[in-house]
Order: sequence, then structure tokens, then C-alpha cells
Amino acid sequence: MAKYVLKRIGYMVIVFFVVSFLMYSIYNLIPTDPARAELEPLKMSLKPEEYEERYQQLRDEYGLDDPIPIRYARWMGFMKDKQTDTYHGMLQGYFGYSSLYKKDVSVVIPERMENTIFINIFSTILALAITIPLGIYCAVHKKGKVDNAVQVVTIIGYSIPVYIIALIFIWFFAVTFEIFPVSGSQTPGASYTGIRQFLDRLYYISLPVIVMTFGSLGGMTRYVRAAMIEALSMDYIRTARAKGLREKVVIYSHAWRNALLPVITVIISWFLGIFGGSVIIENTFGLNGMGALYYAGLMNRDYELALAIQMFYIVVSLIGQLVTDLSYGFVDPRVRIDK
Amino acid sequence: MKKFLALLLAVVMMLSLAACGGEASNDTRLIYGSTTEVSGDIGPGAWWTNNATDKMIRDLINDYQPVVTNQGGEFVINETVCGGVESVANDDGSKTFTVKINEGLVFSNGEPITAANYVAYALIAYSPAAAEAGAKVSAEQVVGAKEYQAGEADALAGVRLVDEYTYSITISGDYVPYFYELSYASLTPLYIPMYASAELTVVDTEAGAKFEGGELVASELDAARWMYADAVTAGPYVIKSLDTGALETVLEINKNYAGNFEGQKPSINQLVIVKSEVATQFDMLKTGAIDVLDSLSDGNEVNSALDLEAQGGYKTVNFERNGYGKIQFQCDFGPTQFKAVRHAVAYLLDRNEFANTFCQGFGSVVHGPYGLAMWMTKESTDRFEAEMNTYSYDPAKAVELLVEDGWVLDAEGNEYVSGVRYKEVTAEEAGDYELNVTLADGRILMPLHIKWSSSEANPVSELLVTMLSNGQQTADAGMVIEQTVMSFDELLNYMYRDKTQGDQYGVKTYGMYNLATNFTPAYDQSYNFSLDPEYVANGWNQNYIFDEELDQLSMDMVYGVDPSDREGYLKLWQDFILKWNELLPEIPLYSNVYYTIYPDWLENFEESSLWEFQQAILYATVAK
Repeated sequence: MAKYVLKRIGYMVIVFFVVSFLMYSIYNLIPTDPARAELEPLKMSLKPEEYEERYQQLRDEYGLDDPIPIRYARWMGFMKDKQTDTYHGMLQGYFGYSSLYKKDVSVVIPERMENTIFINIFSTILALAITIPLGIYCAVHKKGKVDNAVQVVTIIGYSIPVYIIALIFIWFFAVTFEIFPVSGSQTPGASYTGIRQFLDRLYYISLPVIVMTFGSLGGMTRYVRAAMIEALSMDYIRTARAKGLREKVVIYSHAWRNALLPVITVIISWFLGIFGGSVIIENTFGLNGMGALYYAGLMNRDYELALAIQMFYIVVSLIGQLVTDLSYGFVDPRVRIDK
Repeated sequence: MKKFLALLLAVVMMLSLAACGGEASNDTRLIYGSTTEVSGDIGPGAWWTNNATDKMIRDLINDYQPVVTNQGGEFVINETVCGGVESVANDDGSKTFTVKINEGLVFSNGEPITAANYVAYALIAYSPAAAEAGAKVSAEQVVGAKEYQAGEADALAGVRLVDEYTYSITISGDYVPYFYELSYASLTPLYIPMYASAELTVVDTEAGAKFEGGELVASELDAARWMYADAVTAGPYVIKSLDTGALETVLEINKNYAGNFEGQKPSINQLVIVKSEVATQFDMLKTGAIDVLDSLSDGNEVNSALDLEAQGGYKTVNFERNGYGKIQFQCDFGPTQFKAVRHAVAYLLDRNEFANTFCQGFGSVVHGPYGLAMWMTKESTDRFEAEMNTYSYDPAKAVELLVEDGWVLDAEGNEYVSGVRYKEVTAEEAGDYELNVTLADGRILMPLHIKWSSSEANPVSELLVTMLSNGQQTADAGMVIEQTVMSFDELLNYMYRDKTQGDQYGVKTYGMYNLATNFTPAYDQSYNFSLDPEYVANGWNQNYIFDEELDQLSMDMVYGVDPSDREGYLKLWQDFILKWNELLPEIPLYSNVYYTIYPDWLENFEESSLWEFQQAILYATVAK
């Protein structure tokens, strides 16, 4: 097992460097000039000679005239940084400088990450708590009234973009009935502390959490239902029932355990998605999370920030794949993970 | 399942009730919805970040500059701070400005403000530590600032602490006389302990002003940018809290504030600035989550604002944008090098209809590089009416101009009948424009074919396609305007002819671009029409128009007039605008009319593009 994990980690490192080089190259092929963008606000206060001097100085500092492999090596920390003359890259824990926020990316990301985790953890748990029992119930009562109704509702929920769901829910819950606030993450101007502050934050994230949950109900419910229907049609279920086992034992111990194998991939990816954030939800509800940050980085051409977030996503997904593969072995003894 | 749903509903209800209570609100609280998120950088000036919300907060917590702009965008003496600014021309061409500040001004914590606090601004701004911390400050203007910034001198030669309440600043001869030169003397008082842990004091030496008692440290200057509730400042408001996680800033009145340049103090006790999203901002307004939406320009948004106003509970104020959307020509190659062609394009586009359609009725048209709110524009009405060409929609006039300019041939060199017009050009005029045709007899013909670079997903471009490039009048005039859609970055690379981004950008390709521009109160077009090839190569003449008179006027307007010569400046400004209007290196397309919606309990709120929310709110009161 340890050997297998080490081998997989070795592959992950190779994949990480290959993907990071590709991503770095793609971002740097975008025809933009960070030196000019940096200097443009000062243009009015500079004479042309000084502007040119500073421009060339910035190009040199950023290494913009160097070939991409050299720049990548500096960014990754394989080569010394031009400004500091030290190894100062990703491998040394320096993720770049945000031109948008004018501070290190490593400072910008954590405060957004906290918001994203806070929102996603609730929606993930809530969605799983609803979809798994619902999917199982629908599979067990296949073609019943509830199942048919759930099929219709989930296909509608699955088909409507989450942006539209968000706007409809805002209109209904926030504008018409004023149960929840429209946007934001805390009461404006309130200086709550302790449990009051926590409850205030919960109140403000309720609607985005409901929208995210509703948006993910369709897919997961149908996925669980399909896996369970297949599991329930197996011979061992017939055998279990023939043995006279109680229906609950048949469903949850025999069928669900086997149905879990295809579902677990999705469940793990959901949990990893907790770190990812949602561009649409965060931008619709004015929440300051990873999705909104990534979007802001791209829209403002803050490519060091966007690239660092992209690298983070790559690491999360590589870890996610490893965890998923390992979990197969735990869930299904037939899958051997020591080779 | 039923139990679970009941539990879920109970939790939601509990949370709603718990959170709906809220704390006792202040009666005079105003919540401002901003679509730009606050970065949290409140460092002075725009040394680091410069987004709109940061700037607004900075303006609200900092004041007491000796020279400020008034409601019309004119630079005026801030009499709350000083009696005036004295200037003396030195033998070496430099100019020294001396400011004696009034006694009795204090910071938000009650500590007195002296000249040392103003000198500290310069000593910090130009310090090597600030540069190390990533601050972008130009050290060119102030004498000795470059040496001080480079760490070659420990004193700032051009700044002196004359006495406890007087400081002076000397500006290099390269930058004076300058029409807006008074602004050079305008420093902001800084509370020194906020920027250094060492007990620094400002002292004056023969070599200039300097800090004593320790040194500035980059990390401490950087930390001061993110200091909120503990920040000591000198403006109408102080920061109570700033939460970059929640994207919310709470400001409270600075009780020690002596007033702006007119002695005006704010009366709204608390300002809360929150992030609003375009898609839901009116829902936030309707539900009371925010009170103010500022500078709305989109027609649908303006109509929503007017509907709300009509329903009651809200008021709106509208004002002209200090800038415009435009077609920009490159005037050194291809058909757009000819003035007649640029004029013809203007005559082929119904700009009034364009502005009306694009701004959905909330826009206007200008005919030169000016804004309607500028004091210069307001004082130029008669001359502009008499001398300015408004290029009213007139396809026949466009054809007439083209014929006069020699666009009378077809591709074979015969007399033009239909299709695309051609003109016989010299080798110099022809340049290496790729669409030129060389006939067997050696004549070079240039087609009336303009290549247009437009940015992607741009509604202005889409309307231009409908109303200009695909317009029947354009085809009838024998003109082709060929659109190429690209990213904005690529558009800029072509516009700057930036070969560092790829060889293709260094080739003169597109004669027409569509962009937008805004003006600042210090209207300065110097070098923007430079003839110097080096300046042009560095992107200073983005129109690539080489007209001596235009260049001279753009320079004289700011560098050839004494600041006290208001009439002289106005005359040069008008000359410049009219010359520009004649040469037409750009075609202004639309100038938006902005709307701000606010609650009807807010009175005396008057905003304009030169008098922004943060300035106007000082005069606003809450209805009793």
C-alpha cells in the first residue's frame, strides 16, 4: 500500500510539473504587457524619457524579454529571481505578487479560502444529506408517485443554470418575501461579535447555500438513484431477501454499500470542491470567495494570481484522484490498491 | 423525511429571527453600494492600488491638502488649511512653493497637525523604503527626490521644513511653469507614528528635510496600508472597520475635522460601503440593503432608477460624463492618414442617433476632447457654436469630401462608378499598406478600405457595425470598413505597435479602433501629439498624427501659461480643441449621462463627474 501511494505521489509530481509548465506557457502567451499595465496609471505624471526608462526597467525586472522556459524556471523556483537574486518561486512557497491587490498572492488567497470553505461546507453537507436518502428512496420506490415527482423536479433543477436559479430564489425569498438578504455576507454596519456574528453570517449565507444545494440536487439524486437501482437488481440482493433479511438491512448494508462505489467519486469531488468556490454563486451574491477571486484575477489580467489559483486547483484535483483511488479499495475489497 | 424537513425549516426560521434583530441602527447611516470591491489598501495617494472604492475611502479619510479642486474641477486654495501658496522662480529654472498652514488643525486622534506632517508625506512617498514596498511614485518633479529615492541622499533637497507651520517644496525647471503647478505644493498631512515604529521626527538641514531618530522600513510602510480602526488620519471620516472578507467598510464622522475648503463638515454620522452586484443591485436597493447606487450609465439601470424614483422614496441626480466613447484613428498610414477620409467617416455616422441608441436616451454627443461639465467648456459655448464643426450626419457631404480629395478611381485606375473608391497616391503616402494596388503604368492606387480593430463582446462595436461599417450609406460612399474582433490586450498591442508582444503588432495594420477615454480635472494633453519619433515609439502619440500646431497647442496649454493667466489658458484650450476638431484624429461617439439614485430623506446632495460622491456627501443632510 505504501509503495503504491509513493508511486502515485511520484506520478503526481511529474504531472504537476508538466501541467504547471503548460499552464504557465498558456498564461504567458496571452498578448499582454504587464510592465505597461503597471506603469500606465503613472503616465500623466511622467515625462516620456522617464516613462521609457521605467518601462524598460520593469520589463527587465519581470524578465519579460526572457524565453518562457527561463521565466518558468524562475517562477517555479528552479532559478534565481532577477530582483532578489535568490531562489524565490513556487517551490520556496512564493506564489507570486498580485498586481490587482498589490500584495503577495499567498496573503490574498487565505482570506478568500476561509469564506469559500464556510459557504461550501454547509451546502455540500446539506446536499449530500438530502440527495443520498432521496436517491435511495426513489430507487427503492421506483416508478412510484414520489419517484416520478422527484424525477421531474430534478430534471428541471438539472436543466436550469444555477445563475437563473439564483435570480429566481433572490426574487422569491429576498425581494418578495424578504426572508433572506439579497446579497453580502453580513449585516452592513453591524459590529456583532461571537455567536451573534456567527449567526449573522449563517443568515447571510443561507440563500446562497440553498441555491447551491438546490442546484446540485438533480445530478446527485439521479446518480444515487441509478446506482441503487443497479445494485438492487443484482442477484445477491435477491439472495439477501430470500434469506429473510429485513428490507432496511438489504437496502443499506447490501445494496447501498455496492452502489457506493460509483457514487464515491462524485462525493469526494464534492468535498474537494469545498476549496474551489463558485464563480457564479459568489459573484451573484456578492460573496468574497475563491471563485470570485479567480474571476477578478482573470478579468483584471492579474495572471500571477489566476495562475496561483489554477495551480492550487491542480494540486487539489491530483490529491483528489489519489484519495478517490484509495477509497475504492476501502469501499470495495475486490479493488486492490497495492499494485 | 418529514422530520428532517421540519428541522430544516425550524433552523432557517431560528437563524432568520436571530439575525433579523440587528443592532440599534444609527439614524444617519447611509449605505453605499459599490460594484468595485474594496481591496483594503488605504495607503496614501495611489502609490499602490487605485481602484474606485479604495480611492473613495482614501478621499473620505484624508483631506487638508493646501490645494484642492472645487465643484467645477478648478484648483483652488483650501482656506481651511492655509492662506495661500507663495511661489518663487529660482535662477536655475526651478520654482519653490511655500505653504504656511493654519494653526489649530488636528488629526482624528486630536494631536496637532504641523508642517512636519506635510513634509513627512514627501519623505515617505519618495523614500527608498516605499519603493522597496512596491509603491509607484514618480520622483521626477521634486528637486532631489530621485537621489533621495535611490538612497543616494538621506535628505530630500527639494522639501524644507521652514518653521513649525511652514514648509516649502521646489519643483524642477523641467516641470514649471505649468498651468496646474499649484497642485505640486499640495501634500497631505501624515501621522508619522503610523508609518514607523521608530520615533521619527522631521528635521530641516541645509541639504533638505529628513527624518531623524531612525529609518523607514518597507514592511512597516506596507503594514500601514492595511491599518483601519487604528489609522490616524485627517479627513471628514475615520474608518471604524474595514473587512476585506465581507467587502464592507464602515466610516464614522471625524469629530476633529475642521471642514473642507469651504469649511463644510459632514452630517451623515456613518457611511457604510458594501459590495453590490450589477445583477442584484436594484433588489438590494428595494429591500433597503443599500441606499445609494452611484453613476449608473446603462439605459436599463437608469430606467429602473427612474421607475423607483417615480414610485416614491428615492431621488436621482444626473450628470454628464467627463469623457466619451470614441473611434480612434491612426493617421500615418492607409486611408485614415487623409483628413478628408476621417471627416467622411464622421459624416457617414449619425452620431446623435448612435448616442441615443447606445445610451438608450441617456447620453449626449461632444465634438472634441472635452467634457460638458468642465469649466472651460461652459465658458466656450459661444466660440464653439461659431467655429466648431459638429459633423452632422450627411452622406452626401462625405462623398463630396472624398471626391475633392481624389478618391475618384476604381481598382483599374478608371473613373469611379461603383464599388470601392481608389485614390492615386505617392509612394510615400502608399507606404507599405497591404491593400494598395500598383498598376502596370506604375501608378499606385490606395483603396478606401479601412481596417478596424475592435474588442470582443463590445456593444459599441456591435452598434458601429450596424450603423457604420454595414450601413448602406458607407457602401454607397465607396468605403469599406473591415472589422476584426480581438481581445482588448491585442487591440492595445496593435495600437501601441508593441513589437515586444509579437512582430505582427509592429506592422501598421489597423487604421481605426474603438475605445473610451475619461478626463481628470488637471486637463493635460502634453506630449499626446508629439512629433518626436522616440516619444511616438513609446506610445505617446497614439493617433500617430503629426501636426506641429496641434502639438504646440497641447504643450503651450499647460507649459506655456502662468497658472494665474486663466484667460490665456482658456484661449489656448479653445484653440487646441478647435484644431483637434478640424484634424479629427478621433470621432467622439457618445458621452453618457450618469444617474445616481439615493433615498429621498437625503437632502442637498449634488453630484457631478467633477464633484464625486465623496465630495458631495459632505454637503448632504438628512431630512427631519
